[in-house]
Amino acid sequence: MMPLHGKTGRGRVCTAMQVVDLDELKRNGALWQGRRSGLAPDSLLSSGWPVLDRLLGGGWPRAALIEVLSDAHQGLSLLLPLLARLSARPRWLVWVAPPHVPYAPALAAHGVRVGQLLLVRDVSAGQGLWAAEQALKSGACSAVLAWPAQLQTAQLRRLQLAAEQGDCVAILFRSVRTAAQGSPAALRLLVRPVPPGLQVEVLKRRGGWGGDSCIVPIGPEAMDDGLHSSGASSSSHES
Amino acid sequence: MLWLALYFPQLPLEVFTRGRQQAGALVVVEPSAGREQVSRCNGAAQAYGIRPGLTLPAALALCAGLAVQRRDRAREQRALDEMASWAYQFSPRISFEPSLLLLEVGASLRLFGGLPRLLEMVQRELGQIGYSVQHALATTVAAAGLLARSRPGCQASTTDALREAVAALPLACLTRDPGARNLVRHIGLDSIADVLGLPRPELARRSGPQLPQLLDRLLGEAPDPRPEWRPPRHFSQTIELLGEIGQTMALLFPARRLMVALCGFLRGLGGGTQRLQWTLMHRDHPETRFGQGLLEPSRDPDHMLEVLRERVERLQLPAPVVAIGLRVDDWLAFEESNRDLLGGSGPDGPATSDRALLERLTNRLGGQCVRGLRCHADHRPEHAWQLCAPGELDTADAMPVQHGRAQPLWLLAQPRPLQVQQSVPQYGGPLRLEDLPERIEAGWWDGFDVTRDYFVARSRAGERLWIFRDRRGDGWYLHGVFM
Repeated sequence: MMPLHGKTGRGRVCTAMQVVDLDELKRNGALWQGRRSGLAPDSLLSSGWPVLDRLLGGGWPRAALIEVLSDAHQGLSLLLPLLARLSARPRWLVWVAPPHVPYAPALAAHGVRVGQLLLVRDVSAGQGLWAAEQALKSGACSAVLAWPAQLQTAQLRRLQLAAEQGDCVAILFRSVRTAAQGSPAALRLLVRPVPPGLQVEVLKRRGGWGGDSCIVPIGPEAMDDGLHSSGASSSSHES
Repeated sequence: MLWLALYFPQLPLEVFTRGRQQAGALVVVEPSAGREQVSRCNGAAQAYGIRPGLTLPAALALCAGLAVQRRDRAREQRALDEMASWAYQFSPRISFEPSLLLLEVGASLRLFGGLPRLLEMVQRELGQIGYSVQHALATTVAAAGLLARSRPGCQASTTDALREAVAALPLACLTRDPGARNLVRHIGLDSIADVLGLPRPELARRSGPQLPQLLDRLLGEAPDPRPEWRPPRHFSQTIELLGEIGQTMALLFPARRLMVALCGFLRGLGGGTQRLQWTLMHRDHPETRFGQGLLEPSRDPDHMLEVLRERVERLQLPAPVVAIGLRVDDWLAFEESNRDLLGGSGPDGPATSDRALLERLTNRLGGQCVRGLRCHADHRPEHAWQLCAPGELDTADAMPVQHGRAQPLWLLAQPRPLQVQQSVPQYGGPLRLEDLPERIEAGWWDGFDVTRDYFVARSRAGERLWIFRDRRGDGWYLHGVFM
């Protein structure tokens, strides 16, 4: 699993040029480690769906850019347990240019405190991007969700940096047509509706494999399970 | 009593230049013996060799592009009055002399953490407002003013120190009355010390009553009543810009000067404001007005400037700006500690510091584009939610209307009519209804009554949709989306 670690025995890789702390590389996700998440447990946020947590190697990456690609703006329901948990903090949950009206009673029924929501609507693409970046950087938000029209790779990189700077989860909901575009996102998921829920395929995961998929059961009956497990702490080491 | 005198040696010049970060060569002229003479000149003019006392033609000969302003004493007085509004925070007792502001600070020194800190603050803020100042401190108001002009930085906080401080000054500083000055000059007295050495009745007999009276007031031996200044009801100040400004961002410089003046004024009143009204004056165009809202009462110029920056970025100027005005009509009681100590508005509301983001977004995008969301107790989906001010505490949040059934995450702004084929609603193919209908009948009391059967439906592409059949119109509509 971790051959480099075994060779030095002291957690260090020595080269002629420099000494690199292996643990630090692992913590930052800079080192690929196969199926297990390369990220430290405290840099992951449990998704609240056990099956999804397994797929993601522990949960959503924290302070990073996540892309959810779909045909018709799907995938928000995957985030409900996370949003419910984050909304307990005195921080904004910013929604930039959502495609429809977020239905407040449904959000509340899933435990999301809608009072924490900040909707940025009826703005141009440029303004939306600006608002998302400001919100991410501000440190005043726990998550920023955005439904951007089109983004350049450089703009994605800016958002990724802003998310790191403000310790904020950034989730972009984008069209499947952008799947071919290169992206600096820490996580890229492809989502498509398949009874009884959503099929989630990992296109890219920092410090891990892509290509895996699972079906997250999202229905009236499955929702309860999701809610209950959302209380569990972020457990990243499921083998 | 302890009087702090603030003397503004460059006031005649600075009333013209303070709107600009950098000004070209400028002189202020005054008529003297029938000719225009340079009274003050700025650094750029000095670089051309221009000095106070030159005649205007001589100055123009040195610098062809010289800007010339006539001395405007009314404007200087107005500037002093505006500074009094700012200085009211340090003392309720304020009076004036030409180019001079006099504050009784004996009572408030401790409040401001001692004299050095008070002076530091005075100096810094006056610099930000746009005036250079020299100060002096004395136990009498007359001596404070005199020392600020003649011996800047002097601090005479006891009677003995005062006597010593003024003694060395030339008599010419004390009075411009030519009679008194001639008289004492003829008997060979130059300094104030010389005059103080004379027996008072003898001096009075020779020079008239005025000079001894001045000396008595100077030393605090006679009362020196001054009219007391009262703060205005509103804050309204204008900075005329030297020339024109065509770039919106360049307006921030004079705007900040106004904000620092405003915040001093608000501190004096123990208040903060939430609404600033800006006016931009153009030469041949009606003035531009716009408001600047703050989410909470504030008197922090940096915060105000940050918010204004967002506002100004999307401002379209119809013409270059020649003057900028700030007006504040109302203010609220304001506790400085609120901001620092509490930091939040309760367990549910976002913390106060987070409001900075909100302000940024609102001022750049407009209030209509940045909204909060809340539940509303109503069975009709259209009415079960409301947009509201962001962060508004959601009372209905605790108990949303219980549907007992699946509710969609998304609601379409308008129900979208669905095609029907063989009595089956279509959405990219026939829709499969997943469940028994839920009937919603409500609204007969407010004229928007609905009678609908809602279904969860699955499309051919696998989407879960919320659709309804209008029981009166008998059509099918898409109203919400799950997932």
